Amino acid sequence: MSENPYVQALVEAVIDGDPEASTEAAQSALDSNVDPLEILNEGLMTGADEVGKRFENGEYFLPELMLAGRALKAAMEVVKPSLVKKYEGTDNKVKGRVVSATIQTDIHDIGKNIVSSMLTAAGYEVTDMGVDVPIKSIIDKAEEIGAQVICLSALLTTSMPFMKDLIETLKARGIREKFIVLVGGASVNEDWAKHIGADGTARNAADAVKVVHTLVSA
Amino acid sequence: MLNYLEILDRANSGPYLAEENWDLEKVAMTTKRLVKKYKLEWNQNELVTDDASLSDAIYNAGYELAVTLGSYSRTTERVIEISQDEIDNGIRNAPQNVVMGEGKDARTLYARHLNDERAPLFFGGSPGTPIPERFFLANVMSYMQEPLIDLATCGTLVEVDGREVRTGNPIEIVSTRRELQYMRQGLKRVGRAGMGMLAAQSSVSELGDLAAAHPDYLRSCDSHLVPMLNELKMDHRNISRAVNSLEYGMVNASLPCVIVGGLGGGPAGSAVINVASYLIANITCLADYHILHPIHMRHIATSTRDVLWVINATGQAFARHAPEIIVADIYPKSGAGTKELLYETAANAIVNAVSGCHLEGCGAADGNAPNCSGLEARLMAEVALATHKMKMSLKEANAFVLQLLPKYEHVFTQDGNPGKPFDEVYDLQKVQPLDFWQKMYEEVKTELKEMGLKV
Repeated sequence: MSENPYVQALVEAVIDGDPEASTEAAQSALDSNVDPLEILNEGLMTGADEVGKRFENGEYFLPELMLAGRALKAAMEVVKPSLVKKYEGTDNKVKGRVVSATIQTDIHDIGKNIVSSMLTAAGYEVTDMGVDVPIKSIIDKAEEIGAQVICLSALLTTSMPFMKDLIETLKARGIREKFIVLVGGASVNEDWAKHIGADGTARNAADAVKVVHTLVSA
Repeated sequence: MLNYLEILDRANSGPYLAEENWDLEKVAMTTKRLVKKYKLEWNQNELVTDDASLSDAIYNAGYELAVTLGSYSRTTERVIEISQDEIDNGIRNAPQNVVMGEGKDARTLYARHLNDERAPLFFGGSPGTPIPERFFLANVMSYMQEPLIDLATCGTLVEVDGREVRTGNPIEIVSTRRELQYMRQGLKRVGRAGMGMLAAQSSVSELGDLAAAHPDYLRSCDSHLVPMLNELKMDHRNISRAVNSLEYGMVNASLPCVIVGGLGGGPAGSAVINVASYLIANITCLADYHILHPIHMRHIATSTRDVLWVINATGQAFARHAPEIIVADIYPKSGAGTKELLYETAANAIVNAVSGCHLEGCGAADGNAPNCSGLEARLMAEVALATHKMKMSLKEANAFVLQLLPKYEHVFTQDGNPGKPFDEVYDLQKVQPLDFWQKMYEEVKTELKEMGLKV
């Protein structure tokens, strides 16, 4: 835990979901020569961990999670140039790039939003493509940004087959091995994930973050 | 009443707003402010409240939310502005009686008041649950044949003729029509051909809904779903469902599934959003009646403490202030062949019945697996009728529910309790419960009697 007051203020700003305060604290920390990596790890990530814990314990709900994501993003904008400058290839300090989407024909997004927010809070660069996203667009976006992970969500049982279609399309295009494909949603379980050849699934958002961590670092 | 073309115009020309800002800055922040302003708090040991001032406050907060925000079109990313006068007209014009079905099987859904002298009505079926075609007919008949069931609903066909059903694909037309063929066949076979239905559940997009609006499938005396999106949102797909009913005349059931733990935060904010959703649905869904189906963010089920509280708060708010026709879904965590399913059903039935609602159920096993049967719907109706006949007070209802909770709450901390599929709890030829399932039902019924419930 950093003893720097600006880093501590940053932790609080993320927990409070206050983008203005997080921007200000991040800038003050940089101005007082705190290592940008310390700002990232001890400030932003510590705050994000706490938000995740409170969400899991039922003390925080979706709005707090979304606000924390905003505070985190705003502070990252301030810190990122210094990180890149100070550390060669610091861009790679981002834990990984993720494309998330609710698969085509399905419009339910709460679960996907939570996973996106929690992955962002956990240090991943998440491109959330929204709902009812065509298979082709998801794959093209993953290629374009060099994603390691594709997270697919579906609530509707009759939309779930499109998850399988996406994996088959990746195979047909010869790029299946480039991506970790995770599937989730109320009706998705391990059997389904296995059946369609996905790399994994999770029962809730917190588990999803753990699964992504495990597979990305494998 | 607001012309529906006017709603479409507003969806096309209202103020532009990014969806994330609608969610966070409009819905979440306004709800949070209103929960504070009206000092709303939930109590996990008072799931059925007899505090009229709490009910007043929830209604007023929901009304203020609806008037402040209006609705939002996800398709056009524009706010659908709705004035206070229009909200008030929606309340004034909300149907108080709706006849469903025809002939001797017709039933009149009505706007229930608290302590209403009239008994609630019962929709039997497992709405939205994926059901394989091989036992779809037997499954729906297991509900239709129950004497206490007034109206029929059903699950979703997930395959037809061995082919996987996909949303928005031409096969959705086939599956929705096939579902309705089975429904109509089932009604005839149990001798209740005129029974009203809430069906076309296999129509996940608007495609099946459009294809089923025909007297051979969904009659004009039947109802279909017009869903809202979380929270207070519509899109052109769902607006198409409402428009589809304009000339044909189907009964519109609005379906806002408020997420408890979502944008409204805890139970209090979720109840406020649920109240606002109905006031908006009067206009944007052309609602003839409303489905009350809050979804628990983690557990899905309607039988958790917080969701039971939201059901009671929302139902009472309307029953006390502006009665509208509300049908409360029962979606237990547990599946067929487990005692927990029956305890969850009983707790939910008590809450729904005393909260000014009609009942629909049960979407057993979270509506995730075909682990459902007519037997739990029988118990749902028996318990709700007992509650009604005993003239159970709100306080007594709360006491019964608190007694039932310890019998099933463990299912929320274990790895689900899905039970068994329909064909492992019913004899498919005779469409009767297998002995073990019948015995479980009788044992639970005995327990309920011992608790003082006159089932």
